[in-house]
Amino acid sequence: MFRAKRRTVVSVAAVAVALLIGALVVTLTQGSGQADVGYVLFPAGQRPAVHEFTATSLTGTPVRFASYRGKVVVVNFWGSWCDPCRREAPTLAVLSEQYRSRGVSFLGIDVGDTPANALAFTRGVGITYPSVNDASYTVTQDFSQAVPISSTPTTLVVDRTGHVAGYIFGPVTYSGLSTLIKDAVTG
Amino acid sequence: MTDLRAPQPASPETDAASAFGEDETGEARTGTGAASPGDDPRSPRPGEPAPPDPPSGWLRWGWRQLTSMRTALVLLFLLALGSVPGSVLPQEGSDPGAVQQYFASHPALAPWLNHLGLFNVFAAPWFAAVYLLLFTSLVGCVVPRTFRLAGSARTPPPRAPRHLRRLPHSASYPSRLTPDTAVEAAAGVLGGHRFRLRRPDSADSGSWVSAEKGYLREAGNLLFHLALLGVLVSIALGGLFGYKADKLLVAGQGFADTTAALDEFHPGRLVSGSDLAPFSVNLNSFSASYLASGQPAAFHAYITYTASPGSPARPYDLQVNHPLDVDSAKVYLIGHGYAPVFRVTTAQGQVVYDQATPFIPANTGTLLSEGAVKVPAAAPSQLGFVGVFVPTAVLAGGTLESAYPAPDNPAVSLIGYSCSLCMDSGVPQSVYQLDTTGMRQLTAAPHLLSPGQSWTLPGGNGTITFVGYKQWVSLAITYDPGQVPALVCGILALAGLLLSFLVRRRRLFVRAAPAAGGGSVVTVGGLARTDASGGFEDEFAGLSAELAAADAAYTPATPAGIAPGASPGEERAPSNQSETGA
Repeated sequence: MFRAKRRTVVSVAAVAVALLIGALVVTLTQGSGQADVGYVLFPAGQRPAVHEFTATSLTGTPVRFASYRGKVVVVNFWGSWCDPCRREAPTLAVLSEQYRSRGVSFLGIDVGDTPANALAFTRGVGITYPSVNDASYTVTQDFSQAVPISSTPTTLVVDRTGHVAGYIFGPVTYSGLSTLIKDAVTG
Repeated sequence: MTDLRAPQPASPETDAASAFGEDETGEARTGTGAASPGDDPRSPRPGEPAPPDPPSGWLRWGWRQLTSMRTALVLLFLLALGSVPGSVLPQEGSDPGAVQQYFASHPALAPWLNHLGLFNVFAAPWFAAVYLLLFTSLVGCVVPRTFRLAGSARTPPPRAPRHLRRLPHSASYPSRLTPDTAVEAAAGVLGGHRFRLRRPDSADSGSWVSAEKGYLREAGNLLFHLALLGVLVSIALGGLFGYKADKLLVAGQGFADTTAALDEFHPGRLVSGSDLAPFSVNLNSFSASYLASGQPAAFHAYITYTASPGSPARPYDLQVNHPLDVDSAKVYLIGHGYAPVFRVTTAQGQVVYDQATPFIPANTGTLLSEGAVKVPAAAPSQLGFVGVFVPTAVLAGGTLESAYPAPDNPAVSLIGYSCSLCMDSGVPQSVYQLDTTGMRQLTAAPHLLSPGQSWTLPGGNGTITFVGYKQWVSLAITYDPGQVPALVCGILALAGLLLSFLVRRRRLFVRAAPAAGGGSVVTVGGLARTDASGGFEDEFAGLSAELAAADAAYTPATPAGIAPGASPGEERAPSNQSETGA
């Protein structure tokens, strides 16, 4: 009787210990998930190429991505419905003005949005560079072949040869995006 | 679930009991848990020394505990217990709004529940630990059993017991032949009935033949166990490489299957955003028909889709339980609702908002729907509206109600709010709800609008127009690479189980001994598994009559069409030399 009871206690304890170890392992492996904000820099030579695309701007003019070849382009994925996009917009407006003279272009990709709402947004925050109307996310899908665009805002810096030099997921900061742009301009 | 059985040496005194003693596949026995595997002194495992050396001994002990039936049952029970909060408490995955409500109404309790992962049970580490351990336990049980069953399916019949009269079924007939020839004649008949035969080998004496039939039972058992493993692997496959996603799509709009476009995305552990099937879907129109009672009769979402960028667009009529199969992903129609179209202009006439705004049904019967309109670009103040959309408006006692889910008399009721820069915090918020803290209500009473009507807002805040409405659908996109294998394995498991239930293993033994006045006496004994549901008695009677008839008609010139004697591999069959005496 005594032995049987002790054996039960031991096996219950063993199950408990195994559960704890399992929980620990799972917790540790789950912790390696992607953070909300961060950036990725690609060393020269390992930069993923961006697919060429043609789309329509918010004002109805055609936009050919190939025409940006030879320039560093900052591509910002945003939507007027996206609250963090509203927070980062003034930073983008300022940086686009500062880097214009250095041959750096800015292009917005306005996703899941209507042109009326998007234009009201850019007017309101003082963004003057063009945005592509990507209501159905097809341009986003093209870019996703190069780097994962999991949510808005996401900002890519494309070098002069049409390759992604680095990208920021989450709202940009002045210093963070400046670093990426300088890296693409010099490298 | 470690198997407890050990080969038992057959005792000559217990012929009947031992005739099946060494090959029981023991589905019933393994599950009793009456004896734990560790304390079974008869256990066949080689690694069973009484005091094991510490490290490997403890590991082996732990493994045996984990793969024991008791542990599997405890884990299964824990899994069931763990699912209870998943169905009682609101879950993040399915209804994040309800979780927020729970936090608001139970401010003291909710954070503790959250620490325990009870608002996201099925993704909680402890839940994962339970099912991973259960998985390991099942695999650890099924794999060794599979090997044992494979061995059992190849085992030849045992030697004929000495006293066939003690078997449940027995018969005897006199023969004019010598014992060896009489057995030869019987073996020919049994071989013709596709029995597996065993003859005495050199170490045995006497004239006998053992015959066994019904090995398909073991094959069925084996198939069941292999299929069970297949089901486990399929489930793992789906969990690792599959994904689930939701997307709300307004008529006239489209989306490409990319994570940014999806409202909810639940990838498997080894899925990244670039693994999504590169299709795109456009919702051209949606039509719903209802019975007079308001019950839905049919939903049709007319879509066009392209399987990958650049491929031709194809039309499809998406219906409930009639999903779109595209690039091995499935797109299901799981919900619908209304999206009133609003246009907001400033007092100067500049358009600051023009969008079909999805409202969420608050009453699924009448489709009275609620939503929010957020106009951060409005001037001079930012504007927000909380609204109710009714497809068939009726005024019941001063409140707006919906009488019918079809859009027969659509109307919206709006409460307007204004503030300055309250929407610039950058904190992501639900697009279906308006956080009115810090906002000023424009008018005391809600404003009712019919399609085409406008409301000139007080305080020079411009105009909001209820332009009309569109319908939206919610789509579930699932990719489960384990689905088809799981189905196939499930069917195979069922087939194997049926086979092992329906097929009986039965044995026939024939012994011949010299008779006093020349010739011989032939005894036939028969045995079916104890759980046989009858029918063997008739088969046995038929067979023994046939044996007697064949014996009478036997001419020694007839070549015996039977298999040769036992192969060397069969010598490991339980043997007790005393039984072989004639």
